[in-house]
Amino acid sequence: MGVENYQKYLDPKVLARLEGFRLGARRSVEGYVSGVHHSSDRGLSIEFAEHREYAPGDDLRYLDWKVFGRTDKYYLKQFEEETNLVCYVLLDVSRSMQYRSPAAPESKLDYARRLAATLAYLVLRQQDSVSLITFDEAVATRLAPSGNPSHLKQLLQVMDEASPARKTATAAVFHELAERFKRRGVVVVVSDLLDDAEAMLGGLAHFRHRRHEVILLHVLDPAEVEFPFDETTLFLGLEREASVLVDPRALRKAYLQQFESFVHRVQQGCREHQMDYVAMRTDRPLDVALSSFLGRR
Amino acid sequence: MTGPTPLLAFGWTSLPMLGWLAVAAAPVVIHLLSRRRYRRRDWAAMQFLAAALRESRRRLRIENLLLLLVRTLIIVLVVLAVADPYVESSGLLFAPGGVRTHRVLVLDGSYSMGYIGGQRSRFDEAKELAARIVRASPQGDGFSLVVMGRPPRVLVDVAALAPAEFLRELEAARRTDGTADLAATLAKVDSVLRGTRRERPGLEQQEIYFLTDLCRVGWMGPRGDAVVGEARRRAKDLARRARIVVVDLGRPGADNSAVTRLATADSYVTLAGGAEIEVTLHNFGPRVRKGQTVELLVDARRVARRTVDLSSGKSRVVRFAYRFDVPGEHVVEARLAVDRLAVDNRRWLVLPVRRALDVLCVDGRPGGNFSGATAYLNVALAPGDGESSMASVCPRVVPESALVEVDLSRYACVFLCDVAQVTATEARVLGEYVRGGGGLVVFLGRRVMAERYNRELVEREPLLPGFLQGVVENTQPGLDPLGYAHPIVEPFRGREQAGLVTTPVERYVKVVLPVDSKARVALATRGGDPLIVEQSVGRGRVVLVTTSADTSWTAMPLWPSYVPIVQEIVAWAVAGGIVQHNVLVGEPLAGSLPASAAGEATHVVLPDGHEEVVAVGGPRGRAWRFDATGPSGIYTIRLGGAAADESRFAVNVDTVESNLEKLTEEQLCAEVWPGVSFDYRTTWEASGRRASATIGRRGGLARWLLWVALGLLVAETFLGRRFGHYETAEENYGATDAHR
Repeated sequence: MGVENYQKYLDPKVLARLEGFRLGARRSVEGYVSGVHHSSDRGLSIEFAEHREYAPGDDLRYLDWKVFGRTDKYYLKQFEEETNLVCYVLLDVSRSMQYRSPAAPESKLDYARRLAATLAYLVLRQQDSVSLITFDEAVATRLAPSGNPSHLKQLLQVMDEASPARKTATAAVFHELAERFKRRGVVVVVSDLLDDAEAMLGGLAHFRHRRHEVILLHVLDPAEVEFPFDETTLFLGLEREASVLVDPRALRKAYLQQFESFVHRVQQGCREHQMDYVAMRTDRPLDVALSSFLGRR
Repeated sequence: MTGPTPLLAFGWTSLPMLGWLAVAAAPVVIHLLSRRRYRRRDWAAMQFLAAALRESRRRLRIENLLLLLVRTLIIVLVVLAVADPYVESSGLLFAPGGVRTHRVLVLDGSYSMGYIGGQRSRFDEAKELAARIVRASPQGDGFSLVVMGRPPRVLVDVAALAPAEFLRELEAARRTDGTADLAATLAKVDSVLRGTRRERPGLEQQEIYFLTDLCRVGWMGPRGDAVVGEARRRAKDLARRARIVVVDLGRPGADNSAVTRLATADSYVTLAGGAEIEVTLHNFGPRVRKGQTVELLVDARRVARRTVDLSSGKSRVVRFAYRFDVPGEHVVEARLAVDRLAVDNRRWLVLPVRRALDVLCVDGRPGGNFSGATAYLNVALAPGDGESSMASVCPRVVPESALVEVDLSRYACVFLCDVAQVTATEARVLGEYVRGGGGLVVFLGRRVMAERYNRELVEREPLLPGFLQGVVENTQPGLDPLGYAHPIVEPFRGREQAGLVTTPVERYVKVVLPVDSKARVALATRGGDPLIVEQSVGRGRVVLVTTSADTSWTAMPLWPSYVPIVQEIVAWAVAGGIVQHNVLVGEPLAGSLPASAAGEATHVVLPDGHEEVVAVGGPRGRAWRFDATGPSGIYTIRLGGAAADESRFAVNVDTVESNLEKLTEEQLCAEVWPGVSFDYRTTWEASGRRASATIGRRGGLARWLLWVALGLLVAETFLGRRFGHYETAEENYGATDAHR
């Protein structure tokens, strides 16, 4: 089972292409162990942060003699402590993630799983910690952060067992998780974001309020982007919304306007709260989008 | 079609096509059906779809309705265009889509149109009506003029666009004294339509107006068969291309009497013999006409008058005896009291009166004491020894060798009696003589060389009716008069004591007539072989007697029937010369110039005094011919220049058209033109205002409808694209990258 999940969700070619990439934190984070990420805690560290006045009993090894030579006063150097990253991967497993159009090679959920698995692998490879939370209208499963390489197996298993059964309710989930995450880290949301934009942005902003970094990976099916249908169609909502019988050609323009307006709002909201937004189409290679994004960070 | 004429009328050329309007429901049906047939898809992004639908619901409804309306309207307009609607308006009102019209006016020019109904003749009525039609027509229309006759005349061929020019031609139009030929007239009309279509393509619509009295004889032919096939076929073809209007100017129950025949009892007239002139009168009307005066004029001088009663539908023969004082051509005229159709109340007869009938007898076996071939014939021709009242015939006997030396034109008839052979020259001379109106009687005999006769008088000059086979011994006594049907033997009917049928004939030459021969056998042997056979050649006649004129082969010269049979043969043979001077309207006048007048100008003076040049031609430049015998009356041919020789001809009406019985509308539809679409009118409204209300600009709307349909088709494509109904998935993919 474990080997199968590795093969199912981790493509060696993709991993090979992402070989040199790291998921880093742009801002200071709190980590468990000394890692490569900047920590907001000051202490023994390599990198000088600031001076403080000498108090009797301090370690004279950190006395800045240059400053004494200039000022005849005793100051100690303080260093920023480098620590490891905690990456919280939030995976949307609502029913809407089941959708797959004929133009897409896989459903949004399968794509999201591969995406989440690849991110988890990267994080663990760089000796950081990763946590997996699956959600739909509520938190479904939660795996605590761990930097142990064997944690990946657990992650893959949880992903694999996730069964889309319920609707999406991102806002409530985000708010809840924002309160529950004890350590600041990078929150990566892998979802189709089919929810109320304002409520969702509110939830994501809560993460930012708690000083997490947020990366929004918007999983999109090409049909949802292009709405390419010609014949009169009865659209049946996957999350049990009312069905709609329309001539898609007559409605295409209006649909695209609504869709673009939503994406634009989400992007705007991300910019406002300094969150990263990446559109991930399921008909495009995963590594291309991911490498492009990671390269920019 | 009578009654008030609307200022604007609307109609359909192909009304049944409107049934296809049901197809206009197709877009609605397709729209409804399409909503029943759809694909089912699971969809995740319902929030966007629902929002789009909420926002667009009203707009979508309007767009769908608009597209449905446009598509339905396209079908409706096309169907309406196929049904070919038209608007007929008065000339004062605009008829949308009006087109210029080519109007062919056909005036019935037959002589029945000379009937004076009120103050003027029907032909004048027709001309006035034609003028009104022209004046009432909208500007830009073209007009042609055809006069129905035999033959018909086209007075304005390619449509005249200037009404004044056309009206001048119309004013000059004259009717004929002849009958009408409907099939030939329709052919002319067809030719006029085609010619105008080539020369004036702007005249898109065609109308044909027949202004006629619908006289049955003129429309259906003398025998009532209307040359039905040809006329009907042409009318159907015309009706497909043009609107036909028949204006009936005739009235039922018209009275008319006519002189239907003027002839002499005998086929030739001599000074000594005098003439018995027979005038046949016929009352075509429904009422008895009492006290009708008939006059006889000779050379324009009234010589006799009678008063007779004419019963309705019956003929009556009035006989006049007259003795001429001088020989030559005399014009005899019979004149009935004038009625409403005057043209058939006069009839002429040009009668050559001879001092005596000069007959040339060519003796092939001269001999005295009744041994010659012509001895008995000579006596039979002039049995009264030239002095008595029976000596109207003056025979002259010449030997065979003198034939080419004699001027045959002096003789009314030439007899060949047992002439051994005829040379090519002699045959040619005889041929010219007979074709010019002379009579030729050939008696055979023992000297006759059959093969020479066959070569010269059958093959080279087809004078004899059949090939001479060989001499036959007659084994069956008696002769067969074949019912006394032929005029030569008809006088012997009931007169068996004359002995015609018992005449002994020992030998004769067997003659076999061709299958398609027009020759008629007057008397035959009991075995069926012709004994007396005759045929017309040119304007003359040839009589062949297959036995001898003397007693060498037959006892006929000794029989009591010999003299009368010879007299009847002569009378029959010379009759062609008289017939040629008396023809019917439309028949040509023809003759040959004497040798002295060859090359001289020849003129004809028509009954109205008008003079025209006569065409002369033929192999020796002596044959003349004149075809324009429209008016009835006396035509005078002036032969040669200074030393003019005149010859007169009588041109009479063919009194078949004197019967004024007319066709009704129902008979026209059922008997003459079944299946032909035409308008029938008996009146033409004038009412003091312009007749423009009855002449419309007929506007075809089909083209406008098709243009609008085309515009809607373009609009439908534009709207479909505008509303996104025609976008394809490929068009949409190009915009997707912007979503990132």
